[in-house]
Amino acid sequence: MSEYSTSVLVYIETEENHEIKDVSLEAIASGKRLVQLSKGKLIALVCGKNISQTVDELKYYDIDTLYFADSPDLEIYQPEHYLPIVLDVYEKEKPTGIIFGNTMVAIDLAPRVALKLDTGLVADCVAIDMESDEFVFTKPVYSSNVMAVYEFQAMPFIVTCRTRSCPPAEKKDQVSGEMIELKIEKDTDANQIEFIERKLNETNGLPLSRANIIVAGGRGMGGKEGFDYLNKLCTALGAALGASRPPCDLDWVPAKAQVGLTGEVVAPSLYIAVGISGSFQHLAGMSDSGKIVAINRDPKANIFKVADYGIVGEFEEVLPGFLKQLNAFN
Amino acid sequence: MRIIVCMKQVPDPEGPRESFVVNNEEMRVVPQGIPPVLSLFDENALEAALRIKDKNPQDVKVSILSIGKRVSNAVMFKALAAGADELIKVEDSQFMTSRLDSFATATILAKAIENAGDFDLILVGRQAADWNAGQVGIILSGILNIPCVTLAQGVDVNGSTLTVERVLSNGIETVRTHLPAIVMVSNEIGELRYPAMKERREAKKKPVTEWNISDIGLSRIPPARIKLKRLFTPEMAAGNCLYLTDTTLEDAGRKLALLLKADGMI
Repeated sequence: MSEYSTSVLVYIETEENHEIKDVSLEAIASGKRLVQLSKGKLIALVCGKNISQTVDELKYYDIDTLYFADSPDLEIYQPEHYLPIVLDVYEKEKPTGIIFGNTMVAIDLAPRVALKLDTGLVADCVAIDMESDEFVFTKPVYSSNVMAVYEFQAMPFIVTCRTRSCPPAEKKDQVSGEMIELKIEKDTDANQIEFIERKLNETNGLPLSRANIIVAGGRGMGGKEGFDYLNKLCTALGAALGASRPPCDLDWVPAKAQVGLTGEVVAPSLYIAVGISGSFQHLAGMSDSGKIVAINRDPKANIFKVADYGIVGEFEEVLPGFLKQLNAFN
Repeated sequence: MRIIVCMKQVPDPEGPRESFVVNNEEMRVVPQGIPPVLSLFDENALEAALRIKDKNPQDVKVSILSIGKRVSNAVMFKALAAGADELIKVEDSQFMTSRLDSFATATILAKAIENAGDFDLILVGRQAADWNAGQVGIILSGILNIPCVTLAQGVDVNGSTLTVERVLSNGIETVRTHLPAIVMVSNEIGELRYPAMKERREAKKKPVTEWNISDIGLSRIPPARIKLKRLFTPEMAAGNCLYLTDTTLEDAGRKLALLLKADGMI
């Protein structure tokens, strides 16, 4: 470890509107905590097109050195454009570790970085701690029924952090740190993956990752009509609409509504699960929510195991009373 | 054309919590009372392979490659019955999960693939249902020096061109590369087909190759880059569900709103 200066690099991602992703703010907080433990330096990297607004915003997050790459070539994530940038910052700083948020981009990028740097990767990490001067990394395994604690046999350590596994970094009143703009070079590697096209879903409604309340439906909703009802609830509660996998596979709701290990991992303050049986896949994506409500006709449904409030019954009979009372509040 | 699908046998991930027993001496999770199954995303990878084969059944051969301490023929039979042409197993008592991180696993797979002959496409699941590391495909592509496309929900081959639809958080994108290549397949591609009776009977006659670690030219497991320090069962706030059992379900719904209001949730 001694050949490395103690420093941690945080890879930052932005939303389409250039706001910093919540999971990246959480990664900054994790990085900050680690460098405070080891009196080291916090380094961050952000890439994209027209990101000056993001870069300005990041000055307020107590980052010692912020690298940024702003280019039309970086409008969308492509490994052959992004990977060399991360490797370049690594070469410049030789950080002790690199922290990513566990996003769709990081799922592709983080293992490529680990491969190039001849090191390992702990994916979907929920805690980073220090034990006898070594960093240790905890992640859920076996459908979240077991937690595994890892240490690295190679350096640097590389992790992707699960959404909401720690509180986000707080914005300071003052700007601080230095900023370094990177020039981008394309990877000359012959193994190129050519980008053809991208089809994005319409972005209506509140994104799951930003919602304080999520109302989610499962196969038990019976079809699109059932989800019309949940949409009404969402409007009344200012909630985002979620779903377990079957409704997405069956095209009752857009795929972006999927909550679960392979959809979005969420932890809103309130999660209302209607007609969801609670497969491990789904539970792993929402069980850290503040309060969980389960409405299901099957009293043995797994979802009740993680619920705070449960109602056993047909949703068609439960929701009218719920909605009436909600409207009475407003 | 030959497609190799890497498949892993895992304890049924839908099993109840009690069935995953931690053994910290051997640094492993011992499944109790739950059967081994094919890892879900590996089934999706096989389905992707079979869809390519559907278009050209005579010219596409699908080989299953599985490594592990013990690989159950009964579990892998499902893959053969669904339409794979052969099974290659690499079993060795040294293949302990505590020693097989993604790097070691990919190195063993690469050696096995080298011994398995020519291939055009390798398909793997996006992550295994037990350890969820999600890296083997990319590391394997590094060792074999071929491209790797991740998060696939559609895989199409035309000559030596590979077109992949990738899952994004807010849509899909299409990318293209050349064969040979590796694709990591996601569940959005769809579930593995269910075999008919006739296919199940035929599956029993399909060739199975059994190797151990020295058969593939390795003398020991490559060193891991991450090391398991310990395992533990997380605390579960379960069993605390307050059931609302009012006389009518409509009343229960109303009560729920009142409780959430009182909690300051809404």
